[in-house]
Amino acid sequence: MRSMKRTFGAATVLALAVACGGGGSSAPAAVPTCDAACQDAIAIRALRETLKLAFNLTLQGKPVGRHDETVACPLGGSVHVVGEATSNPAQGATNVDLVYELQGCTYTLKDDDPKQTYSMSLVGNVEQKGVIAVQPTSTTALGFRSGSVSFKGSVYNPSIAYEQAACAVVLQQDGNKLSGTLCGRTGTVDL
Amino acid sequence: MLLASDARRRRKSLLVGLATVLGSAVAQGQAPPLAPAASTAAKTLAPPVMVPPKLVGDPTVPYPEGAAGDASVVLTLTIDKEGVVESAKADVAQEPFSSRAERAALAFRFEPATRDGTKVAVRIRMVLDFHPPRPPEPPPPPEPAKTAPAKPAPRSEAVEEVQVRGARGEPSRTATLSRAEVRQIPGTFGDPFRAIEIMPGVTPIVSGLPFFFVRGAPPGNVGYYLDGVRVPYLFHVGAGPSVVHPGLIDRVDLYSGGYPARYGRYSGGIVAGETLPQSTKLRGEYNVRAFDAGALVEAPFAGGKGNVLLGGRYSYTAAILTLLSSATILDYWDYQARVAYDLGRDDRLSVFAFGAYDFLGEKTATETLTLFGTEFHRVDARFDHKLGNEGAIRTAVTLGIDRTRLQNDRFLRDRLLGTRTELTYRLGKVATLRAGADVQMDRYDIELNGGDLSPSNANIANAFPSRTDLALGARADLVLAIAPTFDLTPGVRVDLFTSDGQSALGVDPRLQSRVKAGSRVQLLSALGLAHQPPSFVIPVPGFQPGGLRGGLQKALQESFGVEVDLGGNTTVTATVFHNAFFDMSDALSVTTPQVNGCPPGAFPADTIAGDPGRQPTGNGSRCSPRFPSGQVGPDRSGGGGQASQTTGDTQNARAFETRASGSAYGFELFLKRKLTSRIGGFVSYTLSRSTRTANNATFIASFDRTHVLNAAVAFDLGRNWRAGARGTFYTGLPKAPDPTNPAATRLDPFYKVDLRLEKRWQLNQRFWISAVAEWVNVTFNKESIGTNCTLNGCVEQKVGPVTIPSIGVEGGF
Repeated sequence: MRSMKRTFGAATVLALAVACGGGGSSAPAAVPTCDAACQDAIAIRALRETLKLAFNLTLQGKPVGRHDETVACPLGGSVHVVGEATSNPAQGATNVDLVYELQGCTYTLKDDDPKQTYSMSLVGNVEQKGVIAVQPTSTTALGFRSGSVSFKGSVYNPSIAYEQAACAVVLQQDGNKLSGTLCGRTGTVDL
Repeated sequence: MLLASDARRRRKSLLVGLATVLGSAVAQGQAPPLAPAASTAAKTLAPPVMVPPKLVGDPTVPYPEGAAGDASVVLTLTIDKEGVVESAKADVAQEPFSSRAERAALAFRFEPATRDGTKVAVRIRMVLDFHPPRPPEPPPPPEPAKTAPAKPAPRSEAVEEVQVRGARGEPSRTATLSRAEVRQIPGTFGDPFRAIEIMPGVTPIVSGLPFFFVRGAPPGNVGYYLDGVRVPYLFHVGAGPSVVHPGLIDRVDLYSGGYPARYGRYSGGIVAGETLPQSTKLRGEYNVRAFDAGALVEAPFAGGKGNVLLGGRYSYTAAILTLLSSATILDYWDYQARVAYDLGRDDRLSVFAFGAYDFLGEKTATETLTLFGTEFHRVDARFDHKLGNEGAIRTAVTLGIDRTRLQNDRFLRDRLLGTRTELTYRLGKVATLRAGADVQMDRYDIELNGGDLSPSNANIANAFPSRTDLALGARADLVLAIAPTFDLTPGVRVDLFTSDGQSALGVDPRLQSRVKAGSRVQLLSALGLAHQPPSFVIPVPGFQPGGLRGGLQKALQESFGVEVDLGGNTTVTATVFHNAFFDMSDALSVTTPQVNGCPPGAFPADTIAGDPGRQPTGNGSRCSPRFPSGQVGPDRSGGGGQASQTTGDTQNARAFETRASGSAYGFELFLKRKLTSRIGGFVSYTLSRSTRTANNATFIASFDRTHVLNAAVAFDLGRNWRAGARGTFYTGLPKAPDPTNPAATRLDPFYKVDLRLEKRWQLNQRFWISAVAEWVNVTFNKESIGTNCTLNGCVEQKVGPVTIPSIGVEGGF
């Protein structure tokens, strides 16, 4: 019957496409709470994944060199991406030196894991420098820095309102591990 | 007696009873001649020599399927001086027999009555006896000691006769199978709607899945009707049975193209189910199978003036699945209820309510996720009025609701209100008018929560706004019996569609013809234009795009066929067809069905990070050992699971917004020996080619299959044992360029074998019970649906094996 289910899924691919955003809808039972550190970690994830989305929608596949691109965000707002991206095809890596101007960019993610569920609107400029790797022959090593980023939205499931006035953010990504400070508070996220 | 020979044949064939003309005495002694000359003759001194009319040819009338018991209908016939029946009226309404008798009698021909050698018009009375061919399945060969002299031959023969004589379908109608025959086809689980998949011209998307391409048209362009009421889908979720209890279905017709004017608003094909007429006696059916149970009971009341029917089916698949896969939930049920009451001799009021529910879910640690949930409900109130012997008119009002639930509280709801009038009226001896008009309003309430969707999926979701759609239609065709060997049916239907502030008009001319070339050969042709609003790829309740963006879809359909009666209950039909499609919203065919990609070690350069499948977009030439020099690579941090713009999203959105033209042409062959014969079977073969043109390119449609072959054989093993086997073969889907196998243009073909074994016990004259074992895909074959390429290379993507064993008990009375 599992294969039958898969078969059905194959034919209804488009029908379900609009519903592929994440997990379930019913109220979960006995959900543990998410403290302040947990909420910050989710906010850090939201920032990183918003930048990732912006990068893939603007620069991925484009010629190397200097870029100045703007893209609309899924739930409103936009991101202006300015800077230079070069690649090292031999290593399968892209070197970036970019600035993301987040103009109320709003992004949502729902997931079975409540710690990967958020809806967040971001304002501020974020610098991104380092290496983005796409093959095992290289490792992503990225630095993120901002003197002023504000967060407003919700985190976790069930959702918890989250708002952070403009403050400094410093993050370092090694592979898929992201760690650093948000408004002076430390946080770590495994992407 | 006039019909003595027929009575003998009746015993042999167990058909219907035959007509017995009481008429000679009636005509001479009771019924006054109509012609003035005849009245004058009565005044002469010498008694006139009156010769009654003599029936010419075979007056056998099919026993109404679904009816029960014996019946005798007394008809009053008015026969003109040429022996043509001008009118036929049953003395007492006794449905469904009286209507069947009246219709059949209008086709009778007589040697004219004479008075003193002069042809005269007369009115006679005639009795038509109906004897049921029950039970529908053949009993064991009667033992000599128990064989009564008058006991009819095997009942299966009766069914055959009914079908042969009753079959005078529309020229555009693909072969129709009776339920008795469908029961013998392995893999259909006795479900008439399931028989669609064996019809010529029908190409499955995936074996076992009840969505079909019909002569190149996608599933979303095939309309489903039950008693003229549109239904969103006919089959329960997955590989489930039909949403209507099989015991309620009289027949299922597949119109592959050039259909009668009655059907429209779909540009690919029509599947029309007709329910059984009301029974005059108590009857019932039940079945208990491994995955569901169903029952149906029908009973007359008020002395036969009224009739009530209740039926339904419930699946306990969820409980079974729990044992196999604790995470999956599959559930479905359906119901049917019908009440009819004769208000008078010519008037009947009836209400037919039916509906179905399906749920596919997945359990997680904290909750149950809705993957897919649908339901629909219909209430159809009808008033039927006979227009003398010349025709009938039906006026009906339909209320309904369709609902689909998806993940994350997304849902679609369609509340519909419709009314229709259908008229059939005989205009003289050669023409019959069939006309109708209808109005349908659909109120769509849709919540797709587009905010957390990727941009492409959000665009798709925007195509489904909440709104009210209106469709108004009128149609008429004229069945012209120009000569005994030539029928011509010109027709036209006009539909006006409005949706979300837009409107569009479709004018569909239709033409069908039938030419008899000898006693056993017919030439059938059908030609028609069909319009349809934009549609979703598969029939999902409520998933109807709004706004008529891109205009109506159009299809020009034409076919020509030869039908030959080979004798021995065997017929063969060969048909060539051509369909031309315009502005089709066929996302399935313009989406590459399989993932194609890169050889081992290569990297799909156009993949966007965040795509859970890491799938390239299907162009092998973009594969590279690394991403191309001079380009910015993607950010894959964190891998998949991100609801960002994915390759699949982009493809889906592009396909959904693409309007394609295309064509399909082919050859269909359907050779059938009645499956209820001692040895019966069929061969259904389709050779076809379907192409699409979109974005300035012409290509083979994604679900094109060159060869589709279905063959089945059913045996009567004696002692009420019946066995059957069915084989299915079809060509693999087209394959996009595969760097690991450049020579391959198609995926692997697929074949499977289904088996069926039944033992029946006739408990008495009325009650029967049978045990049925059925197994779909005993060969456990998997089916290729694409090629999955990763950095490690390409592997064929297979599903299955979809294999369904079933053991059940059926019975009835």
